[in-house]
Amino acid sequence: MSTRAEFLGRIRAQIAKAPALFVAAPSLRPALPREVADTIRREIAERWPATLERFQREFERVGGVLHRVATVDEVPAVVGTLARERGASSVIAWHPSALGFDPAAGLAGEKISCHLMPDARPDEAARRGLRETIATTPLGLTGVDLALAETGTIILRSGPGRPRSTSLLPACHVAVFDRTALVESLAQVSVFLESWHTEEASGAVINFITGPSRTADIELTLTRGVHGPKEVHAVFVERLIHD
Amino acid sequence: MSEVDLRIPFRERADKALQDGFLQQALTIATTKFIDLQREAFGEFPEGDALRDRARSIKEATLQRLDYYVEQLVENVERLGGHVHFATTPEDARRIVLDIASRTGARMAVKSKSMATEEIHLNEALEAAGVSPVETDLGEYIIQLAHERPSHIIAPAIHKTKGQVAELFARELGRPDVPADPEVLTAIARVELREKFLQADMGITGANFAVADTGTVVLVTNEGNGRMVTTLPRVHVAVMGVEKVIPSMTDLAVFLAILAKSATGQKLSVYTTLVRGPRRPAELEGPDEFHLVLLDNGRIDQISGTLREALYCLRCGACLNVCPVYRNIGGHAYGHTYPGPIGILLTAMLNGPGSVKDLAHASSLCGACADACPVRIDIPRMLIELRKEVEEKKIAPWSERVVFGALGWLLRHPRLFRLSAPVARALQRPFVRGGRIVRLPFFLGEWTRTRDLPPVAPATFSEWWASRTERTR
Amino acid sequence: MADAPVRAALMITCLGDMLYPDVGVAIVRLLEKLGVTVEFPRGQTCCGLPLFNSGYHAEARELAERLVTIFRDAPYVVVPSGSCAWMVKHEVPGLLKDTPLAADALRLAAKSYELSQFLVRVLGKTSFTGRVRGRVTYHDSCHLLRGLHESATPREILANLEGVELVELPGHDECCGFGGSFAVRLPEVSTAILDKKLANVEATGATCVVACDAGCLMQMSGGLTRRKSPVRAVHLAELLEDAR
Repeated sequence: MSTRAEFLGRIRAQIAKAPALFVAAPSLRPALPREVADTIRREIAERWPATLERFQREFERVGGVLHRVATVDEVPAVVGTLARERGASSVIAWHPSALGFDPAAGLAGEKISCHLMPDARPDEAARRGLRETIATTPLGLTGVDLALAETGTIILRSGPGRPRSTSLLPACHVAVFDRTALVESLAQVSVFLESWHTEEASGAVINFITGPSRTADIELTLTRGVHGPKEVHAVFVERLIHD
Repeated sequence: MSEVDLRIPFRERADKALQDGFLQQALTIATTKFIDLQREAFGEFPEGDALRDRARSIKEATLQRLDYYVEQLVENVERLGGHVHFATTPEDARRIVLDIASRTGARMAVKSKSMATEEIHLNEALEAAGVSPVETDLGEYIIQLAHERPSHIIAPAIHKTKGQVAELFARELGRPDVPADPEVLTAIARVELREKFLQADMGITGANFAVADTGTVVLVTNEGNGRMVTTLPRVHVAVMGVEKVIPSMTDLAVFLAILAKSATGQKLSVYTTLVRGPRRPAELEGPDEFHLVLLDNGRIDQISGTLREALYCLRCGACLNVCPVYRNIGGHAYGHTYPGPIGILLTAMLNGPGSVKDLAHASSLCGACADACPVRIDIPRMLIELRKEVEEKKIAPWSERVVFGALGWLLRHPRLFRLSAPVARALQRPFVRGGRIVRLPFFLGEWTRTRDLPPVAPATFSEWWASRTERTR
Repeated sequence: MADAPVRAALMITCLGDMLYPDVGVAIVRLLEKLGVTVEFPRGQTCCGLPLFNSGYHAEARELAERLVTIFRDAPYVVVPSGSCAWMVKHEVPGLLKDTPLAADALRLAAKSYELSQFLVRVLGKTSFTGRVRGRVTYHDSCHLLRGLHESATPREILANLEGVELVELPGHDECCGFGGSFAVRLPEVSTAILDKKLANVEATGATCVVACDAGCLMQMSGGLTRRKSPVRAVHLAELLEDAR
């Protein structure tokens, strides 16, 4: 085992005797990422239909299915149909504070029981029970922080009320978003990543999800649903969720 | 774990691979597919070339101030409640991981694909210490069951047929009648490994990048095991070569834009997971402890070494897919953790120039690797440097040095060089049939066993020119 | 682009001198028809690439010194092999950079051209009459393609060659397996790579495969005659009669 000092010392000694291979610099970073991120959102808000169209194309290309509803009240019906088609009578969902709406009542109307994720960390016994539920529920409902049109990717931050497993363990993942989540390019995403870092994060993980889980490890044959979900659905809500 | 027997000369190992009919077929199909996918991905991505230059520049700039960025990374990981450890040798790295396992009472560890952990032979050490390591990447899971090593940097089991996988699952998992159907086999793996994810005490990963500015470790995967392994167990250990540090999130976007495209032709892999330390206090799940093991193992010395540029490597495997040698012999014949063009350089980095005295010549220097590399690593240049090192350190066999010495001497003496023509014409007569040389003695017989050679011409160009000059005088 | 008569020195290369003199003769005749005064500086042997690639850089440096001296007075240097042209343009200056010949090495690099590059980019000639008729295909030799970034000039000449139909070779940018000493150090692998190349060549139905490198030609023709194939491997120069 080396100490930090030894390790860094050796790196420094090497750098001291190493000529640079060429003049090089890391990327220029935005000085005020939050402001730039806000500007990006404002500008995209003006051309969101085109961005959504591109998102849909790329999302479908990687095996995602896009649904469109007018208001957030129509989401439970979509989820209900998907659940019934897959023989599921229950779903797990992010906490309403993370989703931006409460799906429980609407889902009850669809005869689907909804286990909402807690927005605080419960005790160990409760966590064990919850894990059992999460591991055996066929459909997980989440929100979306960013919907990246360039690649058909949805980006989800973890945190209280928005655990990672909701979009990971169930075989079917349904993600709900509106136009405020749309971004066009990876470069724009990096501005958000810089911006998020300036705040205290309540979750440790940011997940980029580009379609259902897949592998081609056996004779290069593509199969879906290896460890993560076999299906990813995105529901676009026309009326802003936070209206 | 069945190791390739390095006592068998490389040439023999290569030849054995050439005789393996299924391997040949699998390699052709897989590498051709990867090449087509990569070409298509970059074909519809005109910004790609500029981003590759950017990526290369970021890697070089990071090396120039690696101490600063490593320090920044360490501070940020620790600020979030994570721990950073420093491993100079593979032994150091193994001991760090075992200590964490023992302190946390880990009995079973689930692993996401990590070449760094292959490099340090972590699994054997874990097993010996009573910690059961379970590979969860489907390809790695397959070869773990088969007691083999990976044969490709990103597709570890491409040398196996679905029939072989089915037999393997039937035998090792005690399941009767397993069909040779990739869908079914994948579903079996999903069920078997889901249990392990839920029960594991520890998750072990590598890392594709670590962002210094934020203390974030980045995992690029397709199956979801990277997410499982960093969500469900209570301890997460990431083992990462120190050269994987990058300065900022803005830099990360540059690499993400080209990595998956180079590896598999995807715009992005299915999951890109950014992990900043252990779970936050109010989170439902996530590890209670996060450990980052920074691995040296020969890398730091190359900052001032001839293999410095090899430190830019993103481990995408693009160079393997286009290499005429790799495409014919596959990964196992190389005999080391990392195969293919970059693998030869990495082997020299980890084990010294002596370890590549044959491998440094496992290349026709065609340059396809340098062309395919997303960060434009000039692999052929470094292969020649390794050959030079092998020659200068007298690691090359004396018979070879004699031949090249003689050749050099002859070429420095033009009159002798020209005289060699009539001498060669006389000597070659017994070996010529139908205007072609069909057989030659000594090492030249290595050519004529499978190919003809042109004989030294009745009049060399110099002789023709001389007589023409005479005639026109 | 040259209008006035041009003087050019021919760097015949070691393989060209000993094994492929006909290529050199064809080049001399063609260039003279194009109004070029061809010189053949005495004392030339080899550019040093085989020694360089195997790591014998001290020996390669000595050959580089000879080369730079021998070709010092030539206004242009024409090299019939892509790999030798690459050596002269890319590695010789590096070998000599800390010697008194450094400037001469850079000058030599700047004035040296592979044959097809000389014909098209210096003389401005792309249309020729041919010495062969029928279907041909072209193999991109690695040093010309990736070292000198040249894939256009040979194709331009072949596409405009009277009586010749140029078809694209599948895997045209894949190595032929020569690689210098690689061919005898790992002959099984070298031959496996060659077999794939020749399968592609035969699939085109061409009567000959054209290349601008003696090493590639040695390897490909070595395999073709061994299997008694009717397909020939020829140097570009052997196809060209005169400018149209």
